[in-house]
Amino acid sequence: MVTDLKETLQSNKKKILSLWVDRTLNSYIASGFFKSSGDRFANPVGVNIREGLTRLFDLMLAGADPKEMLAPLDQVIRIRAVQEFSPSQAVAPILELKWVIRQVLGSGRNKRPPAEELDNFDCDVDRLALLAFDLYTECRELLYKNRVHEIKSGRYILTDSACASALAGNKKTGCAGVETS
Amino acid sequence: MAVVKVDKLARSVVEGPSLMTGSIPTRDWMDIPVVFKPGNYAYPTKPNILEYLDSLEGVSFPNAREWNPEDDDWKLPENWKEIIINGLAERLGKFRSLKIFMDCCVRCGACADKCHFFLGTGDPKNMPVLRAELLRSVYRQEFTKAGKILGRMAGAREMTVGVLKEWFMYAYQCTECRRCSVFCPYGIDTAEITMMLRELLHLVGCGINWALEPVANSNRTGNHMGLTPQAFKGNIDFLCEDIENLTGIHIEPSFNRKGAEVLFITPSADVFAEPGLFTCMGYLLLFEAIGLDYTWSTYASEGGNFGLFTSNEMMKKLNGKMYAEAKRLGVKWILGGECGHMWRVVHQYMDTMNGPADFLEVPKSPITGTVFENARSTKMVHISEFTADLIYHNKIKLDKSRNSHVKATFHDSCNPARAMGLLEEPRYILDHVVDNWVEMPANTIREQTFCCGSGTALNTDEIMELRMRSGLPRANAVRYVADKHAVNTLACVCAIDRATLTTLMQYWNPDVEVCGVSELVGNALVIEGEKRADLTEGLRTMVF
Ligand code: SF4
Ligand code: SF4
Repeated sequence: MVTDLKETLQSNKKKILSLWVDRTLNSYIASGFFKSSGDRFANPVGVNIREGLTRLFDLMLAGADPKEMLAPLDQVIRIRAVQEFSPSQAVAPILELKWVIRQVLGSGRNKRPPAEELDNFDCDVDRLALLAFDLYTECRELLYKNRVHEIKSGRYILTDSACASALAGNKKTGCAGVETS
Repeated sequence: MAVVKVDKLARSVVEGPSLMTGSIPTRDWMDIPVVFKPGNYAYPTKPNILEYLDSLEGVSFPNAREWNPEDDDWKLPENWKEIIINGLAERLGKFRSLKIFMDCCVRCGACADKCHFFLGTGDPKNMPVLRAELLRSVYRQEFTKAGKILGRMAGAREMTVGVLKEWFMYAYQCTECRRCSVFCPYGIDTAEITMMLRELLHLVGCGINWALEPVANSNRTGNHMGLTPQAFKGNIDFLCEDIENLTGIHIEPSFNRKGAEVLFITPSADVFAEPGLFTCMGYLLLFEAIGLDYTWSTYASEGGNFGLFTSNEMMKKLNGKMYAEAKRLGVKWILGGECGHMWRVVHQYMDTMNGPADFLEVPKSPITGTVFENARSTKMVHISEFTADLIYHNKIKLDKSRNSHVKATFHDSCNPARAMGLLEEPRYILDHVVDNWVEMPANTIREQTFCCGSGTALNTDEIMELRMRSGLPRANAVRYVADKHAVNTLACVCAIDRATLTTLMQYWNPDVEVCGVSELVGNALVIEGEKRADLTEGLRTMVF
């Protein structure tokens, strides 16, 4: 039954989380520092990702509503959405939980849980991954909105309208207003 | 010897003390080439801007051309290598600090995890020690015996086009914030190494437009935007109209007025862009409240000095303009607004570049009689020092309840905090203008403050993602006080901060607004004769 699987997951929580966090942080070249420093202000990437994944795992075990998962998911995805990852790499850690769980449950004295129980849990993971994808897209849209907002709120308008040299189109003046296209 | 240790250091910081995962990079940092792609570099300078700058006296910006960092061929001048090596030799002779910084790093690693670019990207070349190593390795090869003989074993390497590209990438992933230098036992200032990298790159025509266009504009019309004197005056007049609508106070500021006691200079962003506008309204109200005899200048209409991010000579030229104007107008001293790097230039470089400003008087507040001894040589006083002194002597009336919509925290802007030690004055002002404000965690404020991530002309939109990741350490600390204490306002004393932290907050903490400390002063000021509407959002309230 599903409950049994959850109990098994609960008792292996430490191992699962440790592997899950490790794999996620391994996607950074400097993973060592991100993994080792526990100061949330000195190491925002490492600590937020660790905390986010931990909370997500707890919420999944508790069968929480997807809405409750948004905050911890945000903790992970908002960071990865502005780092040098492709969209798939940015959300990949969520899907990797499936692999991590099989890895941990398949080792040591653990008995591999029946396939259909795992299937159910996998569905939860898939749902979470889809949620992550929504969030990722939201973050990216926000970035572009902010870009537009910055361009609109100042410089561009002024260099194009208020600069006499720009209007005159004088190349030697150094005012590039006319060249913004 | 010590030199060889550098890649061990890179690895041990990368891998952590326990070398726990076994995912040791398979290649040495020297062997990992940089890859330019949209979003990870700022656009190169437009040729017409460079040509204009190169035509000026006293500065040199050669090799203007169209080029694209993503192309293999950067169209470098044929003798580019010779130009770079000679340029480095010249600078080693000219700046003693550079020579010392090249020689004295012991690779202790104390700085390695202190840079916000490293913390946001996890890229080892963003560790300050490796950033410096990008230049140091070439220095060793060309200027030390060990490097010449032992080459790579002594941490030395040939200057190649690949190395030059690496310089361009990482000199523009450093905001010259100097946080790393606070932790270095030898006081090595990586910001100054970045400055040298940028200067050397300019010798072969490789710079970024967002730095050089404002520089060109500042030189030509007096401010970053290229605003004409009429537009500059027009904008301030608009602000005065707004102030009158909001508070009933009528203000008629003067411009280019000879014989005024004080010349006021602030970043032009305060005059034209939100949210700086509200800070500017704060200044205008304060000066009106105390009846200060001051003038604006439409020539020295920019406090910011992007020359600092460009070259020593350019910085000197732009800084000199403020003093030339003070002299022309015959003022006694200069009052400066809330700017970041303007103060670094004034405090750390002005005196040796353009000073001492003997034609001015030692600043003395006409209201309190306080003599600003700290500004004895530069003759320039920070608005926060000036305001804190007014409050201390009870010369202005403040009503904190007018800021009851504000729950603030304070961001120490890198330059005022680390380059001039302006730590207490803004806090003292906050204590008197808002009921409620809280500090962010200790390792993210004061001397250890985290940069906004967009300083030194990196505040351009084409590198938005980069800015968001380098600003993460700052935003993360704001998030903490926003969650814990319901903070809704991030106050600061820097114009670049006001603009870039606004965007940073929109991404990381959308419920937090950004303001200047002087805006909060303006909100709280009680002025005789005022007819104030009910301003539920202070000077930001929309009244019709
Ligand atoms: S000066 Fe600031 S941005 Fe540059 S290396 Fe040091 S900490 Fe990083
Ligand atoms: S803290 Fe100073 S001495 Fe130590 S590695 Fe960094 S720059 Fe070198």
